[in-house]
Amino acid sequence: MKIKLNLCLVMMTAIMISACSTSVERLDAQQEVDLSGAWNDTDSQLVAREMIEDSLSRPWINNFVNKEGKAPAVIVGRIKNLSHEHINTNTFIANMERELINSGEVQFVASSSARNEIREERGDQDLNAMEATRKEMGQEYGADFMMQGQINTIIDVDGTTQVRFYQVNLELISIKDNRKVWIGEKKLKKLVKNSKLRQ
Amino acid sequence: MYKGFILILCLIISGCAGQQQANNELANLLYNQDPQRVLDKLQVSEPAKRDFAQFHLNLGLLQFMTADFKSAIATLSLAKREMAVLAASSVSENIGAGSVNETLRSYSGYPTDRVMVHTILALSYLFNNDIDGARVEVLQADIAMKKLTEQHALNGQLASAHLLAGIIYELLDEQSNALISYRNAADIIQQRGLVLPLGLQQALLRNSFKLGAEEQYAAYKKQFPSLATPTNNNKSQVFALYFDGVVSSKIQRSIVVPSLNGEQLIRISMPDYPAKSAPIEQAVIDLQRTQLVENIDSLVRDDLSKEYPSILLLTTTRAIAKYQLVKKADQEDSLFAALINLVTLLTEVADLRSWNMLPATIQFAYIETPESELLIDSRYNVSKKVTIKKGTKNIFLINSLSNNIFHYQQ
Repeated sequence: MKIKLNLCLVMMTAIMISACSTSVERLDAQQEVDLSGAWNDTDSQLVAREMIEDSLSRPWINNFVNKEGKAPAVIVGRIKNLSHEHINTNTFIANMERELINSGEVQFVASSSARNEIREERGDQDLNAMEATRKEMGQEYGADFMMQGQINTIIDVDGTTQVRFYQVNLELISIKDNRKVWIGEKKLKKLVKNSKLRQ
Repeated sequence: MYKGFILILCLIISGCAGQQQANNELANLLYNQDPQRVLDKLQVSEPAKRDFAQFHLNLGLLQFMTADFKSAIATLSLAKREMAVLAASSVSENIGAGSVNETLRSYSGYPTDRVMVHTILALSYLFNNDIDGARVEVLQADIAMKKLTEQHALNGQLASAHLLAGIIYELLDEQSNALISYRNAADIIQQRGLVLPLGLQQALLRNSFKLGAEEQYAAYKKQFPSLATPTNNNKSQVFALYFDGVVSSKIQRSIVVPSLNGEQLIRISMPDYPAKSAPIEQAVIDLQRTQLVENIDSLVRDDLSKEYPSILLLTTTRAIAKYQLVKKADQEDSLFAALINLVTLLTEVADLRSWNMLPATIQFAYIETPESELLIDSRYNVSKKVTIKKGTKNIFLINSLSNNIFHYQQ
């Protein structure tokens, strides 16, 4: 009887220890996983894709191509985070840049921080590179449009239930004359119910 | 086997009580020692998993006070997440608290902790030159306060959190949001029966003026007739916050009484706060004294008072359960019953955990100056000169525990 009891205790302990151990599972980056209800990679990818698709389907792009005879050059500027969460806007900007470049319909200009690094390299080449391979200053491709925007949230809370409303506003501004050629808006709404019980 | 069980329980409980005592001693050390030395001591301690939130709150606050803002952000964010998870009840912990004592429950933070964590995080982001991050935290503080709102109650409502939100919005030129936050701060201060600080009166007048809210401006002008009419000048704006002292640590009040038949002893232990002793000190910035915005020491006492009925109920229920346990043991073996009675006495300890390194009070002053130099006087700073660029907006944080003065300028 005593042996059986001890065996049970050992088995229960083993089960409890295995339940506490860390487990790691590889997931597809496209797989939707919502743990806390906060802004996550899925939201970032989804919003970037839908908004860029919308912007590229609007008349401004054809108007520009017809008038200038070339694809517009676009730069992504600042996306302000005015939300309740610490959102890494860099990943959102990277998602948008990828969607814009992969569309093949616009040319893309490096961001201001990337440009500075390239200018430094060009300055270095000026001093150290061979004449045949040296890249000259003053040959940069100027952007025609800048995309700017902001992420806003409204949160309604009642006890353990929250409604999280995200609104992403983007606008494309002509650098030449400050005209806004496209304004896009994407809304996300999430109902988050936190458990009243835990382990 | 019984002896082993008793020994293990006694060791666990003495460990809990010792950890609580050590935490309180560390908090009291802040009055005499540099925060860095207290931080060094806290960092080598090894808290139980159920005390992680309390440990990270204190650790993050000390990292903040020693100007290690990046570590403070990481640690306090962790504490914030831990408190969010622990907001849900645990059945096993409740059983432990109901049968042994309250310290077997994970520390999930009091309402004041849940809001103050955002305030300290906002300041950490700000002095780490990330005002957008600070803005996120003041928004989260607002959500936290809304969650804690109860009808006609100020529990978990912090004027200092709204004041900081107002300052951050004003720095970001969001006058409308700033005015709302300043108004919320003023409402709470008045509901608590405190005097509205001069700096807050000026903020209400200034922002209603800047916003062009004529009716509100006229109302504030009437309410604060001695204040000068705001003007659009090129003077530097200085928002000075002062953290004074350290909040009180809890103490244990115990009573041991014999049962009616005199066969066993019953112990009741409840947490309490000692009588207030330290007087409130002020800082002086350019001859202007900081004024009280928030008495955190009073708030933590209110938090405990609010929980007192449930603690008392659980303590009483536990005493009955422990009495029945000893009585049942006595029917089988009187020696074993005596040992069990001893365990029930030793395990009956009050939960003394709290965020006990918070400042006792938060004070505020507002100065507009054409000068590029300010004089600051506080406990550890005697006529200390700080420089500011002309026409800038500045936030200073001074504290009574060290000579560190944190400065954000834009």
